[in-house]
Amino acid sequence: MGMQGDFFQLLKAQGYQFGAEGQAGNGQEFTTATTILAFKYRDGVLVAGDRRATAGNMVMYDRTDKVLEIDRHSVMAIAGVPATAYEMVRILEHSFKYYRRTQLQELSFEGKLRAVSKLLKDNVAAALAGTGAVAPIFAGYDFEQESAKIFFYDILGAEFEGVEYAVSGSGSPTIRGILHYLNTWGDQPLHAMSEDQSAIQALRLLTSAAEFDSATGGVNREANLYPVIKLITREGVRTLPEAQLKQKFEASVSRFV
Amino acid sequence: MYEEPYKWVEAVGNRRHYLDEQFTQGSPVVALAYDAGILMLTVSKGTPKLYEIYDRLALGGMGHPADLEKLRFSLLEMAHVEGFNRSPSDVTGGRMVKYGIAPVIKQAFEEVFKAPFIVKILLAELGQKPGKDIFLVINYDGTFEEGPHCAVLAASKSVEQDMLTYLRKSGTAPLSLEQAVGTALQAWALGDRSQRSVQAAENGEGVAAGSPPPDAAGLYAYVREAVVEKILECAVLDRTWPGSSKYRALTAEELGRLLPQDIKKSSL
Repeated sequence: MGMQGDFFQLLKAQGYQFGAEGQAGNGQEFTTATTILAFKYRDGVLVAGDRRATAGNMVMYDRTDKVLEIDRHSVMAIAGVPATAYEMVRILEHSFKYYRRTQLQELSFEGKLRAVSKLLKDNVAAALAGTGAVAPIFAGYDFEQESAKIFFYDILGAEFEGVEYAVSGSGSPTIRGILHYLNTWGDQPLHAMSEDQSAIQALRLLTSAAEFDSATGGVNREANLYPVIKLITREGVRTLPEAQLKQKFEASVSRFV
Repeated sequence: MYEEPYKWVEAVGNRRHYLDEQFTQGSPVVALAYDAGILMLTVSKGTPKLYEIYDRLALGGMGHPADLEKLRFSLLEMAHVEGFNRSPSDVTGGRMVKYGIAPVIKQAFEEVFKAPFIVKILLAELGQKPGKDIFLVINYDGTFEEGPHCAVLAASKSVEQDMLTYLRKSGTAPLSLEQAVGTALQAWALGDRSQRSVQAAENGEGVAAGSPPPDAAGLYAYVREAVVEKILECAVLDRTWPGSSKYRALTAEELGRLLPQDIKKSSL
């Protein structure tokens, strides 16, 4: 069994249960809500997310990190129930490492996508009950195809490729339209933008989402609170530091609001 | 036939003798702390002997590849399950060895009806800060030793001792990676050379086992000859490396830059 390098199987063999039978939620409101987005730019893929977690009308937390680095070349952005989503991220992180270390080679990008689908499929019962619905975006660098790629999933585990961009979460309908408009009639298509331009667009998009979705957190300058933006290129995953976001926001976002 | 205690003791003694023989042809392994992490170095014939175990744990081995592979897998399983269920910081070399593989190796060694593991294992653990690194060495009978700064595997205790003395001569001041590669290569050459001369002496061939060890240049000359058609394997646990996994094998290009001038001349 270990020879297959499958960490998820190993966990199950040790008695670990994932996506246990969900009971219908009895009208309880669970922590959810989000806007996450990813699009291709000149050097790779940009993935960004707001930082708010809500339960019904209540804001649970305003410093959530929803854009999570799984390994040096892949990132998962999470929308939905964070408890399940974080558990998935932890399993994926260990699975990819375990595969690399046992098989002495990196898991292929396709293999990584399969691992995400499999977890979502195992989680269907909890997803339907409402206690564990997760609709993530998975982005990473595919060394076989030599390009960075974006995939998004529904809560049942169906996998779709975001050829230019992908969005998920309660605030996503707002910015989906903007992304389509920008990509089709903007000064330049998304994939031609520089790193600087794409970071500014990501900040603007998340600010727009927060404008129309109460469950998406915007920028809070007093609290020095900015979205999380990560860039994936051939060299690996990089997080834009808050100081840079602050500077970009003040120069190119706030004066337009 | 082994019911009587003294016969069991005799059987275990024979087993020790048999196992000692198995390592005489093996290539030594050197692990050494440098300013940004830990360097591991050996020369192999093709089967790799250095491996990544966990975020801050690396393994070096001597002995039978199939046995090493078996123990490597159980280390990987333990480390990942523990790291997932608790936290990566709970995956320590000490726990993996003391409660993990050392008892397994000891049991296999003492069950005289079954085959023992033909392995010696070195586990290096990268500390959060320089000077906090830990090196563990497990012998084929399950005994283990823990120490700071450096560790080695070689065919016999006396060769290991010589190599360690040589490594410690380099002082306690932190080495650069380049210096560490040089020092580790010299220690490797010293170990491999004395293993071979012991063997040669046993076979009644020329070289006296007691001939004085050569200087650095002499050791490099030895390396140049010894690595022909073999692979110089180098890996580091690099504290400055981004992300949680600190292990990486040094590429041929990096090695080209790091190797001492005397060695570069040859076609490594």
